[in-house]
Amino acid sequence: MPTIARSNGDSTPQKRRLRSDAEAKDSPISTTVKWKSPRGCSSASPNSLSNGTERDFSDNPERSPVKKNFGKFISKPKWNPGDTEQMREVKEALHVSTAPSTVVCREDEQKRVLEFCKVCVEQEKAGSLYVCGCPGTGKSLSMEKLKQLLVDWAKEAGHRQPDVLPINCTSLAKTSDIFVKILGDAQQRRKVNGSATSALQHLQNLYSQNPRSSRIKMMLIIVDELDYLITKDRAVLHDLFMLTTFPFSRCILIGIANAIDLADRFLPRLQSLNCKPMVVTFRAYDKDQILKILRERLSALPYIVFQPQALELCARKVAAASGDMRRALCVCRSAIEILEAELKESSSNFNSLTVEKACFEQQTATAPDILKKQDIDVVRLDHMAIALSKTYRTPIVDTIQSLPQHQQILLCSAVKHFRGGKKDTTVGELKKSYMDICKSSLIPPVGSLELSTICRVLNDQGLLKLGQSRDDKSKRVTLRVDEADVTFALQGIRFFRNCLQ
Amino acid sequence: MGREKAAKEALNLLRGRLCDPTFVFKPLSDSPESNYSKLKFIISSSVTEACNNSILLLGPRGSGKIAVLELVLKDLFLEYPDMISVIRLSGLLHSDDNCAFKEIARQLCVEHDLLFSKMASFDDNSQFMIAMLRECGLAHKTVIFVLDEFDLFAQGKQRLLYSLLDAMQSITSQAVVIGVSCRLDADQLLEKRVRSRFSHRKLMFLPPSKEDLQRLLGHILSLPLDSTLPRDYAVEFNAKLQNMLADEKFKQTIYTYMDSDATVNHLLRFLFRAVSYMDLGSGFLALENFKTALPNIQRQPKLECITEYKSIHDTFQTSDYYARNVCLRAFEHLQQRELISFTDNRGHNQSVEFRPVKLLISSYELQKGLKSYRSCPVILLKLMDREA
Repeated sequence: MPTIARSNGDSTPQKRRLRSDAEAKDSPISTTVKWKSPRGCSSASPNSLSNGTERDFSDNPERSPVKKNFGKFISKPKWNPGDTEQMREVKEALHVSTAPSTVVCREDEQKRVLEFCKVCVEQEKAGSLYVCGCPGTGKSLSMEKLKQLLVDWAKEAGHRQPDVLPINCTSLAKTSDIFVKILGDAQQRRKVNGSATSALQHLQNLYSQNPRSSRIKMMLIIVDELDYLITKDRAVLHDLFMLTTFPFSRCILIGIANAIDLADRFLPRLQSLNCKPMVVTFRAYDKDQILKILRERLSALPYIVFQPQALELCARKVAAASGDMRRALCVCRSAIEILEAELKESSSNFNSLTVEKACFEQQTATAPDILKKQDIDVVRLDHMAIALSKTYRTPIVDTIQSLPQHQQILLCSAVKHFRGGKKDTTVGELKKSYMDICKSSLIPPVGSLELSTICRVLNDQGLLKLGQSRDDKSKRVTLRVDEADVTFALQGIRFFRNCLQ
Repeated sequence: MGREKAAKEALNLLRGRLCDPTFVFKPLSDSPESNYSKLKFIISSSVTEACNNSILLLGPRGSGKIAVLELVLKDLFLEYPDMISVIRLSGLLHSDDNCAFKEIARQLCVEHDLLFSKMASFDDNSQFMIAMLRECGLAHKTVIFVLDEFDLFAQGKQRLLYSLLDAMQSITSQAVVIGVSCRLDADQLLEKRVRSRFSHRKLMFLPPSKEDLQRLLGHILSLPLDSTLPRDYAVEFNAKLQNMLADEKFKQTIYTYMDSDATVNHLLRFLFRAVSYMDLGSGFLALENFKTALPNIQRQPKLECITEYKSIHDTFQTSDYYARNVCLRAFEHLQQRELISFTDNRGHNQSVEFRPVKLLISSYELQKGLKSYRSCPVILLKLMDREA
């Protein structure tokens, strides 16, 4: 059950909210342009807007705190969930695929990677970098932004703009195809005959000879989902990172994966050559960061959508569970849908009440007044709590409770059987325990064929695990659910309570 | 129309209904809390708001997941005629990534009248899929991927799931991924990358409650009043049906049947049998039809050879009535049919008569079998009752 703990009114989140409020107040026009979907909008460019917001950020600290507090009282109006246009805008702002123009809370990591790439481009030297972190921590998103930033910086600083090659390793049919892809981009005119070793050798030859390679531009290669390249002999991964060690190599390699120790475990040889890739870790988001990102997304909208405690609850829960930003966005959208459903239900109730009112004239119209008081405007704490429990709950308890009686009895007999510390047993033994329970409680048992069917159904649902065997009786059975879950689910029925004691 | 002819037509109508899943699941879909409305709401909001979504339908086999999905898709095709295209994959056939991408490419080609090349490589097919998703996104057409037996797609490297869910993370595509599985922990089987991209919506298909069951039975078995059947016959039929449905004994029969497997599919099979027993002379369904159907469905082939058991029992009581070899033969028959088995696995040097033997079927089954065996001698029944 999600606990509804209130924050102690600390001042830091207040300040952040003020900043975003003030920002919305200052530049309403630019922010609304920022949020149009990329399909429709052609004039928005990330650079001008990011510069604009950066300037705003730098302006605010100079303002006096008194003025800031003043800004707080000019709060935004609440939204109208009945308006479909507003609903669509809000859902789009919270959708995972809507990339914000600035990547908030990742400024440090982005700066480190950008500095590294800048050095490489300036000195026309190759290098490798490894970005790691749990899913949903903004790695791919940051690298997307980085590409544009690097190219723009190179243009401004007068260096040769590097080529950019993004590769996602899940799209490779064979792991060695990655070299074909790298080569294919660098040497459009030459036709490679397709064999992977020659692609790799071609690259290796290219990077060992000075006159040929200095004509090629630097290439920024971003390799996403790097662990798909790991094969038994780790050759491909090694060769890929070794490409940066050649004397005249032209590639800046950035690898992205989830495992923190990938570089240590799979690339030990590089350390001896003194060119281990630099590691940038994207830590899982904590509560404040998630809150900041959510507010950032919602700040562009001219109305308030969420009650502030609801957003805090979401951030707290998601940060405690995984720190995955996608999850937080999903939960927020789910909460909005719950609000929508409530709105629909109340409007149908309202309609039926007005009909009733028309029928019974003598009753004073207290019903519409009551409904007005329960005006559904913002997403409240209870909506968010329901959305969180829906996302994080396992359906196991519900399913066990809704199983038919004999399936429950069989599950109970399995739990009792495995209590003694045994890990698995055969179907024949399980059937015997089932018969014992039925006999002791005078319930007529089902036939042997039906018992086998029940075992199979429970196996399909993931509650038991059945092994393979020619003979039905000697199949091995293990319990897949926790004993505590079964006991909890069936505690309402006295028979099972006694049975499981 | 003669009574019997009307009854025959009614029987055909009922049997046709029981075989049509879309008819059966309609009443369960009327309330706003039902899975039908929730699913429809999610898909239609994805279509109208042009955003991506993913959802899992979970529930035991035979609880109507695909039936409800088909109902929803049919209704959506009527509401949004050109804005939806459906791609269907099955975990049994397409769990291999190469195969799956080829099938997706083929279905997309068929849908959009393009030429499909069997020689296209894995890379080509995946590029094609991403390009098509982008094109459909620009044309505001939503692609719905239906993945049947979703848990089988989660074996191996899960490349198909990753590519699909990753394509949905970009704003250029408009797709809905619907996974159907009977494993309740299907989303725990996903890799953490894939799980992070999945939107964690789950719809549970639980067995119907007792009230829902009553409503369902009424809906399926009531005859329509405005068909080719004579009206007064239909009215009388429905009245008798309502009486029977409210009867406690009928409810007891149904609940005992559903005690071992409560899915709708199971119930339909039972109803089909019961309806087939309808007496064409009277033209009405009666409680006896249902009671006859119950043991017929639950009967097992072993009970049909209960004659052998009878002879064994007789020999123990009246050993000089039957010849010895008849007994031995009967004994061997019983052993072959696995009604009894030897409790010790020691050698065959001991003669058959003196080895201890245990009964493999329960005494309850034995009783039921004997009762359904019409020509069972009374002495045997008395013996069973005494021992029970």
